[in-house]
Amino acid sequence: MRGWPILAVLAALAAVPAVTSDNIALNFMVGALIVALAAQGWNLLGGFGGQLSFGHAAFYGTGAYVTALLQQHGVNAWAGAALGVAAGALVGAVIGFLSFRAGLRGSYFALVTLAFAEVLRILANAAPFTGGAAGLLVRLDVRAANFQFASRVTFFYVALGCVAAALLLTWSIGRSRFGAQLAAVRENEEAARALGIDAFATKLRAITLSAAITAAAGVLYVQYYLYIDAGLAYGTGVSVAALLAPVIGGVGTVLGPVVGAVALEGLGHLTRLVAGPVPGVDQVLFGLMLVAAIAFVPGGLVGRRA
Amino acid sequence: MSQPTRRAVLTAAAVLAAPTIPRAQPASVKLGILQPVTGALAQDGDLGRLGAQLAIEEVNAGGGIPGLGGAKLEMVFGDARSTPDAGTQEVERMQSEGVCAIVGGFASPICLAASQAAARYGLPYVVDVGVSDSIVTRGLANTFRFAPGFGKVASVALDNLATLNDAAGKPAKTVVLVHEDGLFGSGLAKLMQAELPKRGFEILDTVAHPTPARDMGNIALRIRSLAPDLILPSDYYAEFVLLARTLQQQRIRPKGIYGVLNGAASNYRFVKEFPTLAEGLLDCNHWADPRNPKTQALRQAVEARGKSFAYNVMLNYSCVLLVADALSRAGSADRARLTEALAGSSFSGHIMPYGPTRFVGGQNEGASPVNTQVQGGDIKVIFPAAFADAKPVFPAA
Repeated sequence: MRGWPILAVLAALAAVPAVTSDNIALNFMVGALIVALAAQGWNLLGGFGGQLSFGHAAFYGTGAYVTALLQQHGVNAWAGAALGVAAGALVGAVIGFLSFRAGLRGSYFALVTLAFAEVLRILANAAPFTGGAAGLLVRLDVRAANFQFASRVTFFYVALGCVAAALLLTWSIGRSRFGAQLAAVRENEEAARALGIDAFATKLRAITLSAAITAAAGVLYVQYYLYIDAGLAYGTGVSVAALLAPVIGGVGTVLGPVVGAVALEGLGHLTRLVAGPVPGVDQVLFGLMLVAAIAFVPGGLVGRRA
Repeated sequence: MSQPTRRAVLTAAAVLAAPTIPRAQPASVKLGILQPVTGALAQDGDLGRLGAQLAIEEVNAGGGIPGLGGAKLEMVFGDARSTPDAGTQEVERMQSEGVCAIVGGFASPICLAASQAAARYGLPYVVDVGVSDSIVTRGLANTFRFAPGFGKVASVALDNLATLNDAAGKPAKTVVLVHEDGLFGSGLAKLMQAELPKRGFEILDTVAHPTPARDMGNIALRIRSLAPDLILPSDYYAEFVLLARTLQQQRIRPKGIYGVLNGAASNYRFVKEFPTLAEGLLDCNHWADPRNPKTQALRQAVEARGKSFAYNVMLNYSCVLLVADALSRAGSADRARLTEALAGSSFSGHIMPYGPTRFVGGQNEGASPVNTQVQGGDIKVIFPAAFADAKPVFPAA
């Protein structure tokens, strides 16, 4: 894939604050970018690597919780964020090590990731140091040093920067030796092994990177809303959002997760506006549109990679 | 940020229009009402919205806000969709529509996130229910909670339980705690586990369950084998209904079921749909002063609309009146002045048994829960005596 469509999408997104200074639009865009980042993480493992995960909330939640917890213990927010991403990557490596070493593939791998995320959710809901069911609050103290910004525009650009970095990473992986190995493992693991590719190491590397990206989304979430609880961090809703965006946008494409996330979130927002006062109607409409999207554009909005 | 907000445009338009319409009605004041009317908390959110709406109608029918020249209140409603992110999104929308304050939130996570989003704009936020005590310990100047928090509810509940038991000759000695595993259930269970033994009760077991839960069979069997004198359930509506039905099916009849902030025990829907299950249930919860004539008038208005007279209605109704009073005293919809007027409020025109409002660090110090019991198909207040309209029936016949 050539680089210019990526630059075009990034430029279009970067122009949003120039078009509108409306905080509703910016708030919506930040939400969509957080989902896009989580989805980019999923896409690296699920799309490029063919390892479908139902449990990316495990990484997202770890990123969020570690960032919030460290700040409660006086660690600087930016350092906390970096450690949050690292912790997410570590959780990814551990889950990957355990499940890939056991040879889990396909639906078995998907179920195991779901189980890990659920276990983490229940632990976070019960453990006292995560605030239990009361969750964790990050103190509102709007200073750039605290990773909190007075203007939504600043946060928008921080989120966009993360999305751009993840785009570049996936783009360069797609063109690298590692990307080729990943594709080989995805298409036929036995054949890849016969060619001398270390399938275990390749998959482990993919899940670690994937987890780090999704953890960064969790970090952004907690720094934006300044509150996290077990359901928000490790809930199945997070895992579903992370996999739905690439499915709609295009699994295994560089731009798929971003296009899918913006389209899905935008659709959700629009249906809410047109649905009017009847609660729940927008969700019915949203569901119908999803069915239509999967029926008529099965390869995703930006098309399946050849 | 530099682009004119709709509010600024409207103000400018009003200023321009003023000379041509010299004796125009004062511009209405927009009040944000945030409730979850979609998702898991929709039933509560719907009732909260109703309470706010009735209060706004009452203020407007009574000639608007006196201190603002009779300006009318206008509701800007936001659906928090049962999640904190959706609540935040709605705060942004309300801000852009130029509301003077926001009332509501219902669930603690929504209140925590939404009040923080409002704090960015210095927008006053009045929490209707949200019981988590961290809501008022964050030092946010814009956040006020009219109702009692966790700590207060738990201590009153335990004191009243001991009083009730002592007055009946201490028939109850053993208890089983059943609670949902979220913020409210586990928080309460923790407090009660620490406090009940000090008051002479023996805790036989503490059983947690998730929300939603689809089956209470195992919990009921566990309770049957332990045969406690009292069951203390802290659950939301559907789970408590399920528990009560399962207990009845298994013929488990303790001396009392004593809810704390229970989702069903002080809910007319439950009383109407399951009269035999509901009879005799005790609860410590938010409830209006039954001897206040305004309470009875509100109840009639709610029931005339075919809705249930729940604490969400009472609290949101009272919170909107509280804001209306502060607006009138501030003499302006200016946020800083409104915040100041709220902080110094001594409003007593509400229907809750709290006395005059007094905010300390955002928490209404006079706020306190009451004890209710279902008697003869109605929900009666049994404690404190000053507000009671019935005597407790304990132990159950």
